[in-house]
Amino acid sequence: MNPELFARLATLASSLVLLSGLAILWRHSLQAYIGAFARQSFLLVVATLVVAVSSGDRRLYLVAALIFAVKVVVIPRLLRRTQVHVAADLEIHPYVNTPASLLIAGALTLLAYVVAEPLVAIGALPTRGGIPLALAVVFLGLFIVISRRSALTQIIGFLVLENGIALLAVLATYGVPLIVELGVFLDVLLGVLVMQVFVYRIRETFDTIDVDRLRDLKH
Amino acid sequence: MSVNVVSILAQTALLLLLAPLLGGLIKNWKAKLQNRRGPRIWQPYHDLIKFLRKDMVISEHASWIFSFTPNVVFLTALSAGLMVPMVTAQAPLSLFGGVLALVGLIALGRFFLALSGLDTASAFGGMGSSREVTIAAIAEPAMMLAIFTVAITAGSTNLSRIVLAGQGPGSTLLDPSHALAFIAMFIVLLAETGRIPVDNPATHLELTMIHEAMLLEYSGRYLALLEWAAQMKFFLFLALLANLALPWGVAREPAPGALAVALGALLLKLAALAVAVVVLETRVAKLRLFRVPELLVVSFLLALLAVTSSFLVR
Repeated sequence: MNPELFARLATLASSLVLLSGLAILWRHSLQAYIGAFARQSFLLVVATLVVAVSSGDRRLYLVAALIFAVKVVVIPRLLRRTQVHVAADLEIHPYVNTPASLLIAGALTLLAYVVAEPLVAIGALPTRGGIPLALAVVFLGLFIVISRRSALTQIIGFLVLENGIALLAVLATYGVPLIVELGVFLDVLLGVLVMQVFVYRIRETFDTIDVDRLRDLKH
Repeated sequence: MSVNVVSILAQTALLLLLAPLLGGLIKNWKAKLQNRRGPRIWQPYHDLIKFLRKDMVISEHASWIFSFTPNVVFLTALSAGLMVPMVTAQAPLSLFGGVLALVGLIALGRFFLALSGLDTASAFGGMGSSREVTIAAIAEPAMMLAIFTVAITAGSTNLSRIVLAGQGPGSTLLDPSHALAFIAMFIVLLAETGRIPVDNPATHLELTMIHEAMLLEYSGRYLALLEWAAQMKFFLFLALLANLALPWGVAREPAPGALAVALGALLLKLAALAVAVVVLETRVAKLRLFRVPELLVVSFLLALLAVTSSFLVR
């Protein structure tokens, strides 16, 4: 493939990954969050495939298939089941309101561009233009975790963060060794399962999945 | 660059004549999509003629601002329209300013419209003015940022130069910054021209109206001017979006063949954007007023990302 076109496609796919993450800040329902996460993972698959096709690295096809299976199919399904089970749908009072969250996300993206500048400058791969975007997805995931109250949203924030790291790995180094990749997938899957159990327990104890209520444990 | 009288006259005629048609087309297509028969596409012309013939009723409490506003709004919309490259890449008034002048003219019109909403001291007028200004305060920076994205690539804030640069070899559609800027501008367009997620142009329901609330006190000739100006504003925004994002077909030289192609391309692009607006207005419900700033912040954010990625990565 023409390297310039390829670089553009990779950057386009990474910006779409970032955009689908930003959708989480703008929507209010957990169902929409889960949908946005599934879309983001799917776009991550697309980005991985673009890199795989152009670099000719066979391993990346496998990674893309794994991402698809784990993050597009299994985890969203698990999350949906949890959401139905705990009967929560709205992220009602986030710690930071929507317009402020969006502006902070914009500032974080700027920060990502500034921080990643040396990385982009020394990078030799044609995909280096997307590195700041991947870093921005990482920051965005962290921000979702700290600014939202619902335990489920925080899980989704963690998964967005993870997606950002995966995107960064693909763009910056054409993927990490397969054994590491497999370990990460297993980690994420188990992490989600464990967190799901936690969400059930929180819900049983407090009748809500608002983590703010966890303060009550102190008394 | 010179001021060409013929091109000014031609584009004025194009704006004045086609703007109501665009409004009529959108109303008609929207009705068709919703399984209604809908008004005929010529209806806006009939409405304008009817308004022009009617007598005016002006409140005795109205000051000079009330009668001054329709002229200002109409003329700013018209002259802003003459700054947008529509058929020829060289816009008739491009000599007088670029993007900043365009946004400034539109803001001037809005300022007077908001004043006249307050002028007669009707409760709805004031409410409409306050809402309009609230929305504009966020929509304007988003629009500037979005246009700056293309301006940075072109190296000039002159709209004609931007269009010419867009036709050059260095441009592509796949550039994420341009796609982001396009989406941001589209949201701004919906907000600035009072389309559905932000304002509903088809209703006079007190709770929701924004633009209509400011026009409530107007009748007759003044109402015709204001309606016509609103249609021109919509037309010029669509044309701006079409020609900045997809600058193909715009005539570089005023040769007859190129002009015909350019006119056809412009109409096609406008029709495509109009279809997008129609589908969106049918699919999406109007947002609660308090969620409108969120939508506009999204637009601002997209524009910011667009500028960042076109400015920092080079």
